[in-house]
Amino acid sequence: MRTIVTGLLLAIVSVGGANVAAAGANSAVAGANSAPADSAAVPAGDFAPVLAPAPGKQSVHVTAFRLDKTPVTNAQFLEFVRTHPQWRRDRIATLFADKEYLSHWSAPDALGKGALAQQSVTRVSWFAARAYCAAAGARLPNWYEWELAAAADERHTDARSSPAWRERILDWYARPAGQPLPAVGSGTANIYGIQDLHGLIWEWVEDFGSLMVSGDSRTQGDPDKLAFCGAGALSAQDRENYPVLMRIAYLSALEARSTGRVLGFRCAQDATP
Amino acid sequence: MRLISKCLICLFMTAALAEELPGDSLYRLQIPLQTADGRTVALADLRGKPILITLFYSQCSSVCPMITVQLQNIDRHLTQKARHNLTILMLSLDSDRDTPQALQTFKQDHHIDDPRWIVARASATDVRTLAAVLGVRYRQLPDQSFNHSAVITLADRDGVIKGHAEGVTAGGAAFLRKVESTAAAPRH
Repeated sequence: MRTIVTGLLLAIVSVGGANVAAAGANSAVAGANSAPADSAAVPAGDFAPVLAPAPGKQSVHVTAFRLDKTPVTNAQFLEFVRTHPQWRRDRIATLFADKEYLSHWSAPDALGKGALAQQSVTRVSWFAARAYCAAAGARLPNWYEWELAAAADERHTDARSSPAWRERILDWYARPAGQPLPAVGSGTANIYGIQDLHGLIWEWVEDFGSLMVSGDSRTQGDPDKLAFCGAGALSAQDRENYPVLMRIAYLSALEARSTGRVLGFRCAQDATP
Repeated sequence: MRLISKCLICLFMTAALAEELPGDSLYRLQIPLQTADGRTVALADLRGKPILITLFYSQCSSVCPMITVQLQNIDRHLTQKARHNLTILMLSLDSDRDTPQALQTFKQDHHIDDPRWIVARASATDVRTLAAVLGVRYRQLPDQSFNHSAVITLADRDGVIKGHAEGVTAGGAAFLRKVESTAAAPRH
């Protein structure tokens, strides 16, 4: 009975505090805040994504939404697998994650030295990321939401033409792989109050499967194109924007059960009217 | 009596083991399908027969009609035994516009009247989930049409994916043989 009650409490906490900065691996219940404090509002807007949404069309309308200020941490994800044990690495169905899923944790239900509580959780599949957000009453952001939020810097909603913005991000790409991930929240907050969109990890989006890239017109006559139904693949309208194009290239190469050493996620919600 | 009850337990255990879904079975997904005739069928209810699955939408004017013809060709070229044992699922990407009525019209236009063929829709979220499992990439364009990879997926009677055919050639003779052998495989 006690176990059940504890389980229920944990479930309530995990729903109420989607993005709680839990104190540590074994005391994740501590410090539960309400969800709005952990996510930031991003107002509706028209936005020119790096990939043209359709031939001859340059902008999309993104409706208002909320985005978590920081990526989901190991501590938070540990709490989730404790309350939703079907997502433990020793119980997850192979349909939903590859063999490297949470493989850097010391045990299916413990982080250990290789995964610090405040680091972003990584080596999670799209299915697992999606299940986490759903359990928190949220969802994964879609690509346009993510790209819109990530276009901002500290002072501008769209800093993409700023050389400083690009260089800062490219510096991250240039950093050697294999270094330990910094804790979440270590980056500067952008104008919405959102951190770590660049410079920390790659992030899952709900519609990663919609990113069919072709920035090269030479593929127009490619027989592979016949495998696509419709007005053809996307083309890049801002080919100079390497930071975003690299994200797209990375995401478009993934399968839903893929995991990656620096691939994590954060959750989003529709804006409450 | 004791012996009998033990044996009954044995029997139940054997049945339970046979029922256990493989870890990579697509029937691990809980997806309600609404069919063209208005019924609701759980995806997992299709377990028990090999299946061909493709994602399409009824307003599609480019590759989709060819995929439909490809499916019909594959079906036509199977042996009677294999054909009898095969389910064909066409799931719409267009959750909003492909109502059961629209799907019924699509079936009539393409002369699909065999009950082994299921033309259905599901919620947009569920379509995304199944597309992710099948490796189908798609996006809706501002004019409501869809860009999507044209893929036919073959899964065995337990929902384990056995192969994909891509593009307008739909894998040709090699894929047909694979469908044949999967559909003709004896019950385990």
